[in-house]
Amino acid sequence: MNAGQQSARRIASQNALSRDTVCISCRHRLASHASRRHASAATAAVAEEPPRTQTNPSNPPVTATGPKKAFQLKCSPVLSRPPVITRELTSFEKAFFLYQKRLNERLALPFTRYFYTKKETPGDIEWKRKRSLRRGTAARDIGAYNAYDDEKWNDEVLVGSKLGDPEDITERLILDAEGKDITEGEPQGDAETGGETISGDARAGEGSQKPVAEVNVERPASRITEADEQNDVKSLNRKLDRSLYLLVQNKDGQWRFPEDRVYGRENLHQAAERILLQAGGINMNTWVLANHPIGHYVNAFKSPILSKILPNRLVRTSRELEQEEYGEKVFFLKSRILAGQADLSQNEYKDKDFSWLAKEEVEKVVSKHYWSQIRNMLTER
Amino acid sequence: MALQEVTSAFIKRMQSTQTPLKQAWKLQCLRTYATDPMQKELGELEESVHQATPTDAAGKRLSQYDPTQNAKQRKEQLPPSRYQFRSPRFYRGPLHPHQPLKSSDPASREFVPGPFTLPRLQQTYESTIAPDLMTLTYQHYPPGFERPQKGERLREWVGDSPYFKNRPRRGPRGYDVLPLLRKPITFRNVPKLERVTVHTMLKGAADDSAYLHVAGMVVQNITNVRVQTHAVRKSVASFGLRAGKHVSVTSELYGENMYHFLSKVIDVVMPKIKDYKGVKGSSGDSSGHISFGFKPEEVALFPEVEVNYDMYPPKMIPGLHVTVHTSATTDYDARMLLQAIGVPFYGKMVD
Repeated sequence: MNAGQQSARRIASQNALSRDTVCISCRHRLASHASRRHASAATAAVAEEPPRTQTNPSNPPVTATGPKKAFQLKCSPVLSRPPVITRELTSFEKAFFLYQKRLNERLALPFTRYFYTKKETPGDIEWKRKRSLRRGTAARDIGAYNAYDDEKWNDEVLVGSKLGDPEDITERLILDAEGKDITEGEPQGDAETGGETISGDARAGEGSQKPVAEVNVERPASRITEADEQNDVKSLNRKLDRSLYLLVQNKDGQWRFPEDRVYGRENLHQAAERILLQAGGINMNTWVLANHPIGHYVNAFKSPILSKILPNRLVRTSRELEQEEYGEKVFFLKSRILAGQADLSQNEYKDKDFSWLAKEEVEKVVSKHYWSQIRNMLTER
Repeated sequence: MALQEVTSAFIKRMQSTQTPLKQAWKLQCLRTYATDPMQKELGELEESVHQATPTDAAGKRLSQYDPTQNAKQRKEQLPPSRYQFRSPRFYRGPLHPHQPLKSSDPASREFVPGPFTLPRLQQTYESTIAPDLMTLTYQHYPPGFERPQKGERLREWVGDSPYFKNRPRRGPRGYDVLPLLRKPITFRNVPKLERVTVHTMLKGAADDSAYLHVAGMVVQNITNVRVQTHAVRKSVASFGLRAGKHVSVTSELYGENMYHFLSKVIDVVMPKIKDYKGVKGSSGDSSGHISFGFKPEEVALFPEVEVNYDMYPPKMIPGLHVTVHTSATTDYDARMLLQAIGVPFYGKMVD
C-alpha cells in the first residue's frame, strides 16, 4: 500500500471537512476500496501498522449558527457542433500531394485500359479522345503531364499555377464528366463550334462532336455558405469546417456557456440536460456525452454574498436554502447538438442573446479570467 | 580590375582620415549630410539589370517562362548529369560498401509514393471522434490514488525440482492465451484504427486458378493495395484442400488506403445492401479486432466493381472478409470506435 493512497483515504475518512473536498464518486470509491480486504494486504498491514498519533484530537464541533458557508456550485453544458466538412488544405499540403501524385505517375505501371473498356466500343473511343487531350495521361488531377513521354522531366508546377488545388481538381472532374477538355489551355475546338471540343481521334468521326444531350453534372455545394457571408453568428450553417460552441449573454451582460446551479440531489449530467432545456428550449436535439466534467471554472467573490436559493421546479429533491457564498465553481459538461437550434424565447435565466462561435471567436467575447480557464477544453478545429 | 579600383579608393579614403578609426564607417557612406553633393564615386559601379527592371517586368518574364520551349530552343546539349547513385538490387549485409537507400528516398527501390490526400474519415476522427471517445471512456481517480497493482499474471513453477529454475512461466489460468488488459484511456491511448485486412478464400481456386486471378483483381481494385496469395499449409480432405495449393488472397490496408476503404464501405456499400442488418454484435476476438463479411452480390456493389462489372466473370466474384484492427484492447472499445465511425451493429453485443 502506498503513501498516496493512504493520504487520500485519510482525507476521505478523517474529518468532516472532507465531505466538501472530495467528490461523492471518489468518496464511494475510496470507501469501497478500504472495506475490501485482501489476504495479501492483511499480512502487510499487520507488519507495518503506522503509528497513528492523533495530531488534531478532535475537530471543534460545528456550531450551527448562521447560514452555511459555501461556493456556488454550478453546472454548464458546453454545447458544440462538430465540423461538418473537411478543412482547407495548406499550400504545402496541396503542393506535396500534387508532387506525390506526379511521382506516382512516374513510378506506377501504366493504366490498364482494356480492363475498363473493350476495344472499339464507344466508351473506348471516347476515352481515347479525352486522353489525347491531356497528353496521354489517365489521371485527371495532375494536369497535362505524361510520365512516359520525352518531356517527363518537366514535372514542376510553375509559380502561380492553380494545379493541385481541390477546387481546381473538382472543376476538372466536372469538365471531364461533361465530356469537355480538362487541360489548362483554351478549348480545343474553334469559336464556331462554341467551344465544343473536336475529336482528336480520326476514327471518332469527322468534324465536331455534337453532344447528344446537355450533361448537367451536379456541383458540390460551396464551402462558404450564406451565413458565412453575412457573418450570422446565430446560424449553425456558419464555419462548416470548425467546431461551433453555444454561448449565451446572461442577464449581467457577460458572455458564457449556459449555466445554472446544481439543485438538490441531481448530478451534473442531469443538471446539464436540464440547463440545455431551460436555456435553449425544446427545439434542440442534444447529447450530453459523459457524467464527468471536462473542465471547471473557479471565481472568488470580492466579498461573500448571502443568497437565498429557491427550489427548482424541475428538480424534485431541491429545497429552499440559504447560504453565504464566497465564490462560484462551474463544472463544464461536454455535449453535442445533433439537430435543431437554440431559442431564447422560453429561456428561464433571462439570457439576452446567444451565438454559435468558433474557438478564436469565443476568446473575443468572454472575460479574460473565464477564457484562461476554458481555453484548454475547447478543440482547435 | 574594377575590384582593384574600388579597393584602392577605399584605402585612399582610410588614409586621408584624421578622425579616430571608429568613425571610419561614416566614410563608407558617400555623403555625410543630405545637402552634400553626390560624389561621383557611385558612377563607378556598373548599372545592373536588377536595378533597372521594375517588379512587373519580373511577372512578365514569369508568364513567358516555358521550360519545354526553352529546352527545344537550346542549340547545344546540356552537359551530362553527374554520377547518380543506384540502389543495389540485393542487400548484401551491413558491411558491404554498396548499401541500399532508405525506403523513404524516391530513388530507392522500395519507395512507394503517397499520401495523395488527407482522408475525410481521418479528419473526422481527429477533430470529433477521438476527443469524444476520450470523454466517453474517461475514468476518474481521486488525487493521490494509484490503481492497485495486479499480481503476476503468469505463475511461476514452484517446487523442489531443480528444473523449475529459469523455466518459462506456466500458461495463463483458464485461458489458452493471455487476454489483454484494459488500461484506463487517457489522451495517449484513445482507440484508433490501425489497419484493415481484406481476405477472401476461394474454394474453386484449388482446381482452377482463374478464381484466384479474378479475386485478386477484385480485391486490388477495391482496396488499392497489391494482394498477397496464401497457400494451404495442411491438407484437409473433407474441404478438398491440398497442401501447397494457393487458395486465398489478402490485402493489408494502412493509413490513407484504410481510411478511404472504410469510408467507402460505410457510406457507399453498406447503405446499398438490401435489408442490411449490420455487423453482428458478437463479432470480435476480444482484443479489439472486429470482423465482418460481404457476400459476392454485395461485393458487386463496390463502386470500383460496379463501374466495369461486365469485365468480371459473374460467378467468380468472391465474397470478402474484412477485419478492422483497432488499438483498443477490448471489443467494447473497438465497437464504440466503429459505431462512432458509422458501422451499424445488431444482435446481442458480446464483449
